[in-house]
Amino acid sequence: MGKFGLKQILLAIIVLILLISFPWVFRKPFPQHVMILVFMFGMMAVAWNIMGGYAGMFSFGQVAFFGIGAYTSSFLLITYQVNPWVGLIIGGLIAALVGLAIGYPCSNLRGHYFAIASIAFGEIVRTLFTNWKLIGAAEGLTLPMLDESFKNFIFHSSKLPYYYIMLVFLLLSLLVCYFVATSKMGYYFRAIKESHDVAKVLGINVVWYRLIAIMISAFLTAMAGTFYAQYILYLDPDSVLILPISVQIVLISMLGGAGSILGPVIGAVILMPVSEVTRVMLGHKGTGIDMMIYGALITVISVYQPKGVWGLLTGIAKRLK
Amino acid sequence: MPEQLLQQIVNGLLIGFIYSLIAIGLTLIWGVMNIVNFAHGDFLMVGMFISFWLYTLYGLDPLFSIPICTVALFVLGLLIYRWIVSKVMKGPMLAQLVVTFGVSIFLANLAVYLWTPDFRLIDKPLLSGTWNIAGINLSVPKFVATIGSVIASLFVFLFMKKTKTGKAILATEMDREAALLMGINTERINSLSFGLGAALVGIAGAFLSTYYYIYPQVGGTFGLIAFSIVALGGFGSIEGAFIAGIIVGLAQTLGGFIFDPAYKYAIVFMIYLIVVWIRPQGLLGW
Amino acid sequence: MGTRKFFVFSLFFLGLFIFIASGFAQPKVIKIGAIYPLSGNLATTGLDCKRGVEMAVEIINGKYDLSLPLAKTEGLPNLGGAKIEVIFGDSKGDPRNGMAEAERLVTQEKVVAVIGAYQSAVTKTASQATERLKIPFVNSDSTSPTLTERGFKYFFRPECTDTIFAKNQFEFLQDIKKKTGMKLESVALLYENTEWGANVGKEEQKYAKEFKYKVVEDIPYSQNATDVSSEVGKLIKAKPDVLLHASYITDAILYTKTFKELGFSPKGFATMAGYLEPDYLKTVKSDGNYMVVRSTFALDLAKRKPLVAQVNDLFKKKYGMDMSGNAARSFTAPFVVAEAINRAKSTDPEPLTKALTETNIPGDQIVNPWKGIKFDSKTHQNIYATGILVQIQNEQYFTVWPFDMASKDVIWPFAGWKK
Repeated sequence: MGKFGLKQILLAIIVLILLISFPWVFRKPFPQHVMILVFMFGMMAVAWNIMGGYAGMFSFGQVAFFGIGAYTSSFLLITYQVNPWVGLIIGGLIAALVGLAIGYPCSNLRGHYFAIASIAFGEIVRTLFTNWKLIGAAEGLTLPMLDESFKNFIFHSSKLPYYYIMLVFLLLSLLVCYFVATSKMGYYFRAIKESHDVAKVLGINVVWYRLIAIMISAFLTAMAGTFYAQYILYLDPDSVLILPISVQIVLISMLGGAGSILGPVIGAVILMPVSEVTRVMLGHKGTGIDMMIYGALITVISVYQPKGVWGLLTGIAKRLK
Repeated sequence: MPEQLLQQIVNGLLIGFIYSLIAIGLTLIWGVMNIVNFAHGDFLMVGMFISFWLYTLYGLDPLFSIPICTVALFVLGLLIYRWIVSKVMKGPMLAQLVVTFGVSIFLANLAVYLWTPDFRLIDKPLLSGTWNIAGINLSVPKFVATIGSVIASLFVFLFMKKTKTGKAILATEMDREAALLMGINTERINSLSFGLGAALVGIAGAFLSTYYYIYPQVGGTFGLIAFSIVALGGFGSIEGAFIAGIIVGLAQTLGGFIFDPAYKYAIVFMIYLIVVWIRPQGLLGW
Repeated sequence: MGTRKFFVFSLFFLGLFIFIASGFAQPKVIKIGAIYPLSGNLATTGLDCKRGVEMAVEIINGKYDLSLPLAKTEGLPNLGGAKIEVIFGDSKGDPRNGMAEAERLVTQEKVVAVIGAYQSAVTKTASQATERLKIPFVNSDSTSPTLTERGFKYFFRPECTDTIFAKNQFEFLQDIKKKTGMKLESVALLYENTEWGANVGKEEQKYAKEFKYKVVEDIPYSQNATDVSSEVGKLIKAKPDVLLHASYITDAILYTKTFKELGFSPKGFATMAGYLEPDYLKTVKSDGNYMVVRSTFALDLAKRKPLVAQVNDLFKKKYGMDMSGNAARSFTAPFVVAEAINRAKSTDPEPLTKALTETNIPGDQIVNPWKGIKFDSKTHQNIYATGILVQIQNEQYFTVWPFDMASKDVIWPFAGWKK
């Protein structure tokens, strides 16, 4: 995990240069869209990782925070003309509060119980939003087509601003994860993941740190939600509050390597293009082959490489030493 | 008016007993090897399709395909355990959680590939129609499914309590290490339990196929509710799953009828959360 | 010597240039993009729509003696017989994919127009993308009224909106009352709780008020329920004269079975969407009898318009089943696009869009029961789009309303469930 060797910094700079120049090399909207999805899901996977990979709370309900973020900023924009950047922060705060509210009674739940509780949480939020007339209920919200500007967080003539904004968001979340992982808090998280009882004996306030993990995770995930809303300009419960999104976030983290900083990003880099490309190439026939490949991939990864790609890479690196 | 309420109670029970059967299979797998089988709903789907094809191609009534479904799903469960799940047993918990998701996605889309996404229905099962008893409409296939579910649950219960293998399974559920020390081949118990759990949901599928429509993604909603039921009843507890299934069936139907049907599943999930907050191990779990 | 060489080379390059330029001016293949939910929950619907599109393209590209635009010639005559090729995109029912597919089809596959996308939410984002890219989008089948209220320049809709369909239902009830003197005062609204169903519910509330019907129940429900006893229980308790049900295919099946099981028998059922799909009658068989469904297509229209039977025969030969309402709607869209391209003599977006705004296809050249296809100059909604109501009798669909277009009398009140 120590990232300060010269080799690592050089590698990071090269990757950054590649990412920055990507949309200039691939000028068509579709590859840019795929990369935006990579960044967006990568960010949500990193956010999940903070509470899941590090603190051991395997949440299958992240989509609730995603939806809360998207809905909050969009509702405020449409009804009160609140600037989306302000809405972004408010959405994150509300998501964190909701995380706190649901996380507290669930602080004793572990493993499977927590996972199922998180699914229940996600579904309850979805049902609530589907029937809440104030925020559009089942019909969703359509964002106004304002003039494009950074201030308005909306762009029409090119995807590039969206691309770079999402990249910055992703880097931000990686920074947060880095600080969490290398701080005392990260140590506490890992202790909690290993065993609640041992952590308590060590004097760690398990409930408090679990809640912090949830709140950070919720805030970051909600940010991705606001981005989605500003990018697609339409949201309804069926597109921003459904279980498959939560599942995808978990799968990406696992595929890339939960419990490592860069693992989830690697997972996103692999899974998002695979799912988009198989959808384009095979989906239109309606035969289900693209999803079969997806399912098989997940199964194989779980069985043969549960530490994910990151685990694979570090394993190779160790052997090369 | 109270008649309508009674009707809803009856309907809640009818769906509840099917839920119970599905949940028992899931709790068995969960209890014995600590694996949440997210592909459980898809096993249900496979059971339904087997029943459908036997009916369509050979005219075999779903009631008679129950033995075939049971065996077929038992084998499927066994194979999935041997080839896939057993390999993650020693792995990290996350892998265990996720592997059955992969199987689930694969199975559902394999069904799309093999049989198209079209909807199917068994239109003339042997036992069909509706009885009207004292003003209450009782759907015959649902009622038969209920009876079947009760019989199957009873059978499982007796099997677990009275036979040597059953007791070995219970022992493994309670304390894996101790069971090992007692000379129980826990690996074989795992395969058996996975197969048995799949077989049970296969039976449920056969019964469900007599009145519910059949298509590749049908496992979705049933599977999701099943998890709540198992956790509500307490993982590993067969009695718990049985009772919780009925509770959830009633809650869903009555909650939807008395309050708002739009929220009926939210009510189910809310009940799960509340129970689990108060008593983390579920109603009858240990 | 030098001048001769120069002359020869110039001639050669001129000839080459003319050869290449003519290649550009006369594309041999014209690509159209089509976005539908080809996998996921509504896969059967999406595949049904796909069949309609493919049938249309086959007729356009081939030579058929049918009263359809471009049928009698192979390909587009004004563009040297250029053929249409459809590139399908799978939306999976997700608006995010709608946007991505529209962009991909236009910028990478170089389609000259996009059709689709069934779900209004997907059409919304897909057409936003085409509007930004300034490429025409002909919406084959989404019924949300808001789609033509956005002031878009490149968006066209031949099909009806839910506003029209909802109004039709009440006009139908009024006509029944006038014809039979039956007392019809209350309705119950039942609709699946997503973007489409919820909007239908809203429109129905509006028209119930306007036509002075009492709404005794308003029940939104989640799709793909395991059991709907509670919803049907509430309906039985409310005792409506008529049930208005907006559902996709899965719920149509489940509700029909539950209505029968619990003995729900209002004076009539007026439904939408799911009840029209081929899988509906295939699964529920005689239990579907007497359901009235809104549609813009019915096979018995062939009595007045032989074209319908001719097209259905072709369809049946190719796919082994009758053409459904969904397939008929997506069948019309490629004709609108191809006819406009042909008239514009160009595939460039501006002339094509201009040609689309000037579309005026007469009623005898479409399989839908409309006076024609002509787009309102501002909203680009087809001003002639009207709905009809069909009823299932003897497990077949018959037009029953408007009464002057009906091939059979509507059976009303509901004749009860067969044992």
